[in-house]
Amino acid sequence: MSQRKSYAVGTGLFIVLGFAALAYLATQTSSVANRHQGASYTVDAQFENIGQLKERAPVKIAGVRVGQVESIALEPGKSVADVKLAIDKQYATIPADSVATIFTSGLLGDQYVGIEYGHAKQYVAAGGKLGLTRSSQPLEEMLGKFFGAGGSADAIGGSYEVTAHFSNVGSLSAGSPVKMAGVAIGRVLSVQAEPTKLDAVVTLAIDNRYNQIPDDSAAAVFTSGLIGSQYVAIQPGGSPDMLKNGDEMILTQSAMQLEDLIGKFLVNGSGDGAKKDAGSSTTPAGKH
Amino acid sequence: MNARIERDNIVTQSLGQIGNCGLFLLQILAAIPRSLRHARETVRQLWFVGAMSLTIIMVCGLFVGMVLSLQLYHVLSIFGGTAATGTVVAIAIYRELGPVVTALLFAGRAGTAITAEIGLMRATDQIAAMELMAVDPLAYVVAPRFLAGLIAMPLLCCVFCALGIFGGHLVGVTWLGIDNGTFWSNMTATVDVWQDIINGVIWKSLAFGAVVALIAVYQGYTAPPTSEGVAYATTRTVVASSIAILALDFVLTAFLM
Repeated sequence: MSQRKSYAVGTGLFIVLGFAALAYLATQTSSVANRHQGASYTVDAQFENIGQLKERAPVKIAGVRVGQVESIALEPGKSVADVKLAIDKQYATIPADSVATIFTSGLLGDQYVGIEYGHAKQYVAAGGKLGLTRSSQPLEEMLGKFFGAGGSADAIGGSYEVTAHFSNVGSLSAGSPVKMAGVAIGRVLSVQAEPTKLDAVVTLAIDNRYNQIPDDSAAAVFTSGLIGSQYVAIQPGGSPDMLKNGDEMILTQSAMQLEDLIGKFLVNGSGDGAKKDAGSSTTPAGKH
Repeated sequence: MNARIERDNIVTQSLGQIGNCGLFLLQILAAIPRSLRHARETVRQLWFVGAMSLTIIMVCGLFVGMVLSLQLYHVLSIFGGTAATGTVVAIAIYRELGPVVTALLFAGRAGTAITAEIGLMRATDQIAAMELMAVDPLAYVVAPRFLAGLIAMPLLCCVFCALGIFGGHLVGVTWLGIDNGTFWSNMTATVDVWQDIINGVIWKSLAFGAVVALIAVYQGYTAPPTSEGVAYATTRTVVASSIAILALDFVLTAFLM
């Protein structure tokens, strides 16, 4: 009998342990743990672009979690996102002119709403509104500002072909866009190795509408964004003669490796290697 | 239960096995109401297949979590994403490793024991004796073990997952120095109760528990009543369970996720 009883007790303990483990998993390691417990009040904020912000994303002040995003909806009739923030009651002293910004935690992290305190004497009330907001900054947009990425050319009305030699095309491939001032004006027809000059010869098809490109313009291989695809950028020169079908672009700038680029900033002017790199970045590849 | 199988070829043989196994499942399900009169027997089996498996499950869960954390930390550090270690450990354990590894261990630890026990009961004529005494062996021997397997698997899987998370935390936070708050907050931000814990842990482990327990009792019950037959049946339990678990895992993942 005692034997049988010990089975029962042991089995009972086992079942309790199993359910305790389940309760632990469900409440401590899942999103349930993020449901705020205390009372909260709701504040509105309107953003032009919320990026990847999701409901239940954290709301932070000085990096400290003070609440979460309660709901995200499109403001009726406007191209504006209406975000309701549920902020814990204990943080009831947020100045009314505080700025709500959508931040990204790290390069690849999730987005959250950060509130930066203003200086107003009044505090934002329950159901109130944070008037000053900064939208999510898409990485592409930010990098696009540096690199000038754009759309692709439609190639209406035919195109003419020019060639350019590069000492390194990076991962440029046939079909990549050709851009001037960030606007696509054509595409790459072919990328081939030149057997005698031992460099890469790239054939560009440029839309006939853009036939006023000086023949001393430079062609450069750029990358759109940090991990984006590569394209050929044309930087106009000052020659009175224009590029024609079959011409060769003499001035070229090869693909820049991100590592080289960063290395240049880090060792700028401190060593021979950096000077050599800088010197060779714009070379008339045709004279190799 | 007539386990005669036409030895035509491997296809009809395996199909016959699966068919017999399915019929056997129906017989067990029909015997479950009768087996409730022997609830104590179910509790005793739960002790043997569940509580006695706890040690191996806990130790393995701990090590799986630890090695997962260690591997992920080094891979994620290439991308500067070590903060995601907790998230990936939790998701990997809940959705795949927890149910699958628990089920494989359960098949090896408890499934073989069930097969050998029932097979030896058959070989030593205990089952025949029960039938003579008008005790239904399906209700007294088979159904309690099946039920015990069905109940024990989700519980063991929860314990495995909890220990896995603990092991991941131990290595990631204590040893490799990921920030404690980051570890937990990233995990809680991503893991969803319904998607990951109910669908991943509970449903999968219930299904695996049913499959392993069914294969174990079927192989034991239909084992030839010789020592060689019992040995073969035990081996087949492990082989068939492992294949069934991994195949079913793919199907369940496709449907549940």
